[in-house]
Amino acid sequence: MKILVCIKQVPDMASRFKVNGDGTWYDETDLAFRMNEYDEYAVEQAVQLKEQQGSTPDITVLSIGPDRVGEMIKKAMAMGCDRGVHIQDKDSFRKDPWQIASAIAGFARDKKFDLIFFGMQSQDRGSGQVGAMVAEILGIACATTVVGFAFADGVVTAKRELEGGIRAVVKLKLPALITCQLGLNTPRYPTLPNIMKAKKKELLALPIADFLKEKELVATASAYPPAKKGTGLVLEGDVNDMVGKLVGILKEKTKVVK
Amino acid sequence: MTARLFKGAEYLVTEVTKDDVFTPEDFTDEQRQIGETTTQFVLNEVAPHHEEMENHNFDVVVQLMKRCGELGLLMIDTPEKYGGLDLDKATSMLVAEKIAPAGSFSVTYSAHTGIGTLPLVYYGTMEQKEKYLSKIISGEWVAAYCLTEPDSGSDALGAKATAVLSADKKYYLLNGTKQFITNGAFATLYTIFAKVDKEHFTAFLVERNTEGLSVGAEEKKLGIRGTSTTQIILENAKVPVENLLGKIGKGHKIAFNVLNIGRFKLGAGVTGAAKHSLGDAIKYAVERKQFGVPIASFGAIKEKIADMTAEIYAAESLVYRLAGMIDNKLATIAQDTPNYYETYQKGIEEYAIECAIAKVFCSEVLADVVDEVVQIYGGYGFVQGYPAERYYRDERINRIFEGTNEINRLLIPGTILARAMKDELPLKSEAKKAFKELTSSSSEGSKAAGPFAAEKTLLANLKKIFLVLTWGSVKKHMTGIKNEQEILMAVAEIAINTFAIESAVLRAEKIMPGLSKAKKESVSAAVKVFTFNAAEQTATAARKAAYFIEKGGSLAELLSGIGRFTTYDATGLLQAKRQLADAAIEAEKYIF
Ligand SMILES: Cc1cc2nc3c(=O)[nH]c(=O)nc-3n(C[C@H](O)[C@H](O)[C@H](O)COP(=O)(O)OP(=O)(O)OC[C@H]3O[C@@H](n4cnc5c(N)ncnc54)[C@H](O)[C@@H]3O)c2cc1C
Ligand SMILES: Cc1cc2nc3c(=O)[nH]c(=O)nc-3n(C[C@H](O)[C@H](O)[C@H](O)COP(=O)(O)OP(=O)(O)OC[C@H]3O[C@@H](n4cnc5c(N)ncnc54)[C@H](O)[C@@H]3O)c2cc1C
Repeated sequence: MKILVCIKQVPDMASRFKVNGDGTWYDETDLAFRMNEYDEYAVEQAVQLKEQQGSTPDITVLSIGPDRVGEMIKKAMAMGCDRGVHIQDKDSFRKDPWQIASAIAGFARDKKFDLIFFGMQSQDRGSGQVGAMVAEILGIACATTVVGFAFADGVVTAKRELEGGIRAVVKLKLPALITCQLGLNTPRYPTLPNIMKAKKKELLALPIADFLKEKELVATASAYPPAKKGTGLVLEGDVNDMVGKLVGILKEKTKVVK
Repeated sequence: MTARLFKGAEYLVTEVTKDDVFTPEDFTDEQRQIGETTTQFVLNEVAPHHEEMENHNFDVVVQLMKRCGELGLLMIDTPEKYGGLDLDKATSMLVAEKIAPAGSFSVTYSAHTGIGTLPLVYYGTMEQKEKYLSKIISGEWVAAYCLTEPDSGSDALGAKATAVLSADKKYYLLNGTKQFITNGAFATLYTIFAKVDKEHFTAFLVERNTEGLSVGAEEKKLGIRGTSTTQIILENAKVPVENLLGKIGKGHKIAFNVLNIGRFKLGAGVTGAAKHSLGDAIKYAVERKQFGVPIASFGAIKEKIADMTAEIYAAESLVYRLAGMIDNKLATIAQDTPNYYETYQKGIEEYAIECAIAKVFCSEVLADVVDEVVQIYGGYGFVQGYPAERYYRDERINRIFEGTNEINRLLIPGTILARAMKDELPLKSEAKKAFKELTSSSSEGSKAAGPFAAEKTLLANLKKIFLVLTWGSVKKHMTGIKNEQEILMAVAEIAINTFAIESAVLRAEKIMPGLSKAKKESVSAAVKVFTFNAAEQTATAARKAAYFIEKGGSLAELLSGIGRFTTYDATGLLQAKRQLADAAIEAEKYIF
């Protein structure tokens, strides 16, 4: 069995974000990057499956991005993936979901993966499209927002999270692709021996140009922080004074009182 | 890795460059990942059990040690041959730093992996390692180290515990009481020091269920209440002869060599604790409003945040620089060297001075930090329920164990002088040159150029002051200098601060090119803030030493030289403090 896991590196969500120079994305200066949370569920599920199958599956972990993503790929390998593929692209943040999906599909097309795992969305862009598009391009079965996973006799049984707290169980024949949602599992943190072992695993670096032939379909026109809501003001003291102050403020800041 | 090998304390008689220092920015992906695993473990698995451990639920502690074993956190310093990872000291220090936010549990962890495990690793026979190491690195067994006795703490070699060979020559019978033993209540393997025939100081590996070994009552402590600290009582404890560790009469080597690593590791641990408590204080200062605004907006609070950030930056720079120095040295020893660990021990011992510096400097940075953290919390820093009160209590032990800070301070000039006498350091010749410069009233000392010129000028001059005062006191007191502790303490201060300033400056210079504009400003600000504070303290210590050593005209000459040689141009200090504080407040944590 051959498994592919696709992961993305995103900024630590506790960061202070600033818009970048051309106003289309955030400024990456001094941000700390880590593995997209949903992709951690994807890696964990792939590794659990490998463990259940007695280690026979071979897991490739893939990421598109600049040099810094190497560290994250190594983490996925320390968690249990067997080999890494880094598709090098300094400008991956400028690619739309269609281009990213096309590049991944370009890589995966002739490799005969039985199962492909994605996170359900990225924490920074949040389009939620890439996994589904890859399934479409490759012409394989796909289930999104998966919160439960089982595999037996060549069939994936996936539990999906629907709106309104409802769950649905779907069955997919291989080859199949699933996108993983919060609640699917608890990702492990790699042990020290596995971190050191991962150092010896294969990590291929390939240029994005080898896989990307598509033009973008969606262009980001601008990115900006929402306008700040005004802070509240508490008036204190004598009631008459407060009324006076309030009227003053209403006169000054609104058109309610003339 | 950097390649220049340094002798211990050589920094005081040579110029060190940025390319000679290892910095946290040099960590590999693997090292960073190991740090991250440690942090996740503390956050997800240790922190939720904090209260239980403080209330002496030691089952939880033992369970968490097993988890450490599963994660591989107990095998960092143990050889691959026995299932360990044998990673470098930089990694070991990084884990010590990252586990520190676990509070008491980090002390349990450090005692186990440090003083508990290392004697066996360094001095154990193959049979002993095969028997015990796998249990220790899996966390199945917890280790403890028993050196201190009720009547011998700092004077460890004054131990009274005895070991006598049994009539059938199969056992040593151990008698005595060991005091303040970390992990005492639940350890399963104790490394115990006792004197064979009341004379030969020797180490023994003693299993918990040994007949004649009992565990005393739990101490009621000021801090680290989640650790176990007990007496270990030996009444004809029957220890099989094959459990003698190392050689008879060589126990002092075992006791002191593992303390070098222990001190250095303590430096890394307290640095982690300082970062963690500073982070909490900044978050609190941002949340807490008085006079209608967050207290973080007040200059008085900002200055505290800036000073703490700068001090921690220096501590961190110092610890990892030392890790690099030791790793470089150890890397020159081939694994197949006969007596590998003997050579290895010598390699570490070379840096006994720097290890003592790391212990003293970093533990005192943490002391300053927790004090100011309580202050930032105001009344809420004084009561339980907020974390500051515990940080304040937990800090205190670090200036007492692994050699009190007095013992460690005295060790610095003591060892330097001993090495100078053996011609291992050119102290006398360098001191003579320095004396000429310092006492020539026209001389302002060295003049450095390039980046951080003001700091480098100061550093070159502080080294001269150290040499002049140290040599001057030796000339005056000769071998009696060892009884002039007040002088030794003062010159130790100069040696410590010089190493710290140098570490901070060289790290800054090394990492500068790769930094964003904002980070460059913060690093420069940290260097300025720290150097100013440390230069002022060093000047005070130097003047004190001058008064202790000289009088009359010679004193006046010395004081005037010290005045000129400790001058540091800190133009822009206020802006630097505000810049540093603002960056820390925006990030709500330690920023480097
Ligand atoms: C919580 C805790 C955990 C500990 N864990 C362990 C452990 O696991 N294993 C172990 O073996 N020990 C352990 N210790 C013991 C610890 O190492 C000693 O407490 C320490 O070495 C100091 O010894 P002492 O308490 O006897 O103080 P003393 O040696 O009596 O010192 C008292 C004061 O005198 C000063 N002093 C002593 N001698 C000199 C001198 N020559 N010159 C100048 N000043 C001097 C000291 O600096 C100190 O200020 C622990 C202690 C505590 C409190
Ligand atoms: C054990 C104990 C007993 C007490 N007993 C009494 C009592 O009997 N009666 C009573 O009324 N109160 C009592 N107090 C309250 C005590 O007086 C307050 O804790 C103290 O005034 C500080 O206020 P705070 O704790 O709210 O800290 P905060 O005012 O929140 O201060 C937090 C930090 O911000 C700093 N800060 C605040 N404002 C400024 C500013 N404008 N500029 C610069 N820095 C600033 C402070 O110096 C401090 O470092 C007691 C407190 C304790 C802990």
